[in-house]
Amino acid sequence: MSATALPSTSNPPGIIDQALADRLAGIVGAKRVLYRPSELLTYTSDGLPSYHKQPGLAVFPGTRDEVVAVVRVLAERHVPFVPRGAGTGLSGGALADGLVLIGLNRLTRILSIDAENCRAVVEPGVVNVALSRAVAQYGLHYAPDPSSQAACTIGGNVAENAGGPHCLKYGVTTNHVVAITAVLPSGEIVELGDTEGEHEGYDLVGAFVGSEGCFGIALQVTVRLSRNAEAVRTLLADFMSLDSAARAVSGVVATGIVPAALEMIDQATIRAVESSIYAAGYPTDASAALLIELDGAAAGLEHDVATVESICKSSGARTVRIARDEAERARLWQGRKKAFGAMGRVSSHLVVQDAVVPRTRLPEVLERIHEIGERHRVRVCNVFHAGDGNLHPNIAYSAADADETARVHLAMREIMRACVDVGGTITGEHGVGLDKLEYMALIFSPDSLATMCALREVFDPERRANPGKVVPMHACREWTAAPAARVTSRGRA
Amino acid sequence: MTAVALPGVGALVDRVRDAAARRAALRVVGQGTWFDAGRPVLAQETISTRDLAGIIEYVPGDLTLTARAGTTLAEIVEATAAHGQWLALDPHGGDAGTLGATIATASSGPLATGFGTPRDLVLGLELVTGAGIVARGGGRVVKNVAGFDIARLLTGSWGSLGVITEVSVRLHARPAVDESIIVPLPAKSGAVERVRTLLRRIPFTPLACEVVNAALARALGAGAAPAAIVRLGGNREAVAAQRAAFDELGSVREIDVSVWQRLRTIESRDAIVFRLSALPARIESVWTSAAALEGEGALIHAAPARGIVRCVLRRSDGTTAAAASVLSSTSCSRIGERLPSELWAILPRPGADALSRRVKHAFDPAGVLNPGVIGELE
Repeated sequence: MSATALPSTSNPPGIIDQALADRLAGIVGAKRVLYRPSELLTYTSDGLPSYHKQPGLAVFPGTRDEVVAVVRVLAERHVPFVPRGAGTGLSGGALADGLVLIGLNRLTRILSIDAENCRAVVEPGVVNVALSRAVAQYGLHYAPDPSSQAACTIGGNVAENAGGPHCLKYGVTTNHVVAITAVLPSGEIVELGDTEGEHEGYDLVGAFVGSEGCFGIALQVTVRLSRNAEAVRTLLADFMSLDSAARAVSGVVATGIVPAALEMIDQATIRAVESSIYAAGYPTDASAALLIELDGAAAGLEHDVATVESICKSSGARTVRIARDEAERARLWQGRKKAFGAMGRVSSHLVVQDAVVPRTRLPEVLERIHEIGERHRVRVCNVFHAGDGNLHPNIAYSAADADETARVHLAMREIMRACVDVGGTITGEHGVGLDKLEYMALIFSPDSLATMCALREVFDPERRANPGKVVPMHACREWTAAPAARVTSRGRA
Repeated sequence: MTAVALPGVGALVDRVRDAAARRAALRVVGQGTWFDAGRPVLAQETISTRDLAGIIEYVPGDLTLTARAGTTLAEIVEATAAHGQWLALDPHGGDAGTLGATIATASSGPLATGFGTPRDLVLGLELVTGAGIVARGGGRVVKNVAGFDIARLLTGSWGSLGVITEVSVRLHARPAVDESIIVPLPAKSGAVERVRTLLRRIPFTPLACEVVNAALARALGAGAAPAAIVRLGGNREAVAAQRAAFDELGSVREIDVSVWQRLRTIESRDAIVFRLSALPARIESVWTSAAALEGEGALIHAAPARGIVRCVLRRSDGTTAAAASVLSSTSCSRIGERLPSELWAILPRPGADALSRRVKHAFDPAGVLNPGVIGELE
């Protein structure tokens, strides 16, 4: 294996060489250290296939102690690294371009379940849905449910502050994490939060969740579990215009009823789903469908269902279908959760965007997205968390067609700007990673970005953990130079 | 997005930079309601965000609101009530305090059982760091993972990392029916635990549920026995069923919703106030620790679902000594709200760990913002 020079940092760059591979093999075993290009192929992309970056080396510790030992060896040698869960991320956040990739998917133990207090302590590699399955016997579940929940890990969810359809009512990852034991890039082990009583002091759990692997590696995560709802009702309402569907969304929200989920699926997506193996029985001639789930105590739920149904109808819904049983409910959801998979039938490549706009601006933003797609001759599909204004415009295309690829990228950039222009943000749940770096300066001033850099350096002074992600360094005013600067942050955040 | 610089923020920046240059410590306050609570802040000069007031953006359909830090909770209550909405934060002390201070101190009240604490409701904020830098974290939309979570870090930082100048919060629509009930409980051990297990078992979370001791029930004009006071929300049918679920505790009767306002303002500014907490299943033992103060006339209430017990004592030598004995003998989490200095000295200092000290240094290199409130006294 040839030595790989690493991107320059303010510190002496670490070198990935045979000696390092041997040191790491001494900790985890030779089979758990990969460095041949053929072995590393799996790790050159995450869930966003438009990026390919080959790690210099990948190491797969199997225990907490091994993770710590690996991190300490890297610290000793100043080698940058990228933590990775299941690699389902959608922002290129887990790509390790010539760096050491630390795979945490072998740390899959659920360390404790405290059903009475609705808590569980898990290792970072525990798969999201595996936790919900393990606690189902107690009538509990883990609420954040990203669409990739069958594969993604709690550690990855913590890094990305992952959401999911049901976070409209139940909140995102940060609302469900109580405490974290983490190893910092220096090798220091820290306990964040309080596993028992109230926490006082800085909310370092809040800071760590969503730090996209830039602050260190979670070794152990204490999460809050949620009670399973006594009753669940799922509705599918279809509309002949996007606008009337968006009005129904606002109407439902205004009632005070908080649906467990409120998802919108546009016509292009409906057609892709219906012509795939995930066909869910969505009406293919509708301009949009809303998938609405209400849950909670059985008493009073039918009343809410009736209210929602009547709002949909008065907003122009053609039909409102209420799932009769669990099988029908699962089928309605499958179409939504597998929508991106179904796009695979349309074209070879798919770019999925993630932005949030104020709910009341949805109709105009959807209109604008449509116009942008037409102008660039690309087909934009929308399937998204309408209840919280979290859009996921996606475009299927062929990467072999250079002209089309260029148009796709132009369209995506304009869509992001359109979302920011109405007061939105550039990512609601996928994270910034590599993919959104260029958009950070649209919503944050250089001073805000510098402040984020300063926070990062508290955890990682050498900037070795997932370097080059989240904060675009060129846009980030140097922290030390800042006091003399003018107040320039207005208008941008 | 705001388009123009507030002159007020500019003045604040100048003030902080000047203080940082002189290394002169600043006491950062909103209305100043918490900083007369005996917290050990070592500062001679005070800056207030009181004049940075007013709602900047409120679109009811978005269920979000952005206001300058000095806006009082009362103003937000009034603006949102007109649209059948509320900011589901009811910190003790009432609505005279500012939004900025509520977020900075992560203060909550009974509604935390149903809606969580400020960290669950804050969407984004603007701050002036100790170096006089204006920065923002988060945004104004309900879901946002862009950049590191400066907004949550500042929530509960007690003004020691930055002066919060603007806050965006999530609102909730008020439930169709908002009803409060009271259930007298037997004055014997196990009563709080019974409420907790009921809450764990029933298929809904009430908006609020506090167990109050007999002295507090009397002070609230809510009878002479310990009681569970519960706030229920939802449609009529849901609330009726919720109410029925509490029948097993005792005889349920309706109580006017104003009881919550009385609970929030029950203590005087010179009272001794602190909280004890543990995992919810330990609530009975935490309650028992606090109940040692009943002989001193303590007003005690607990949020069983959250594992938190809160004690209010009239200040005297006797009550201070009794509180000292409780605070130094329990092993659960102990958080001071209003204490004489000798009691602050008993409590562990929050934020004394190395990482928190580094956070403080990164945001406030000259150490001028509320020194002493979090972290070791230098």
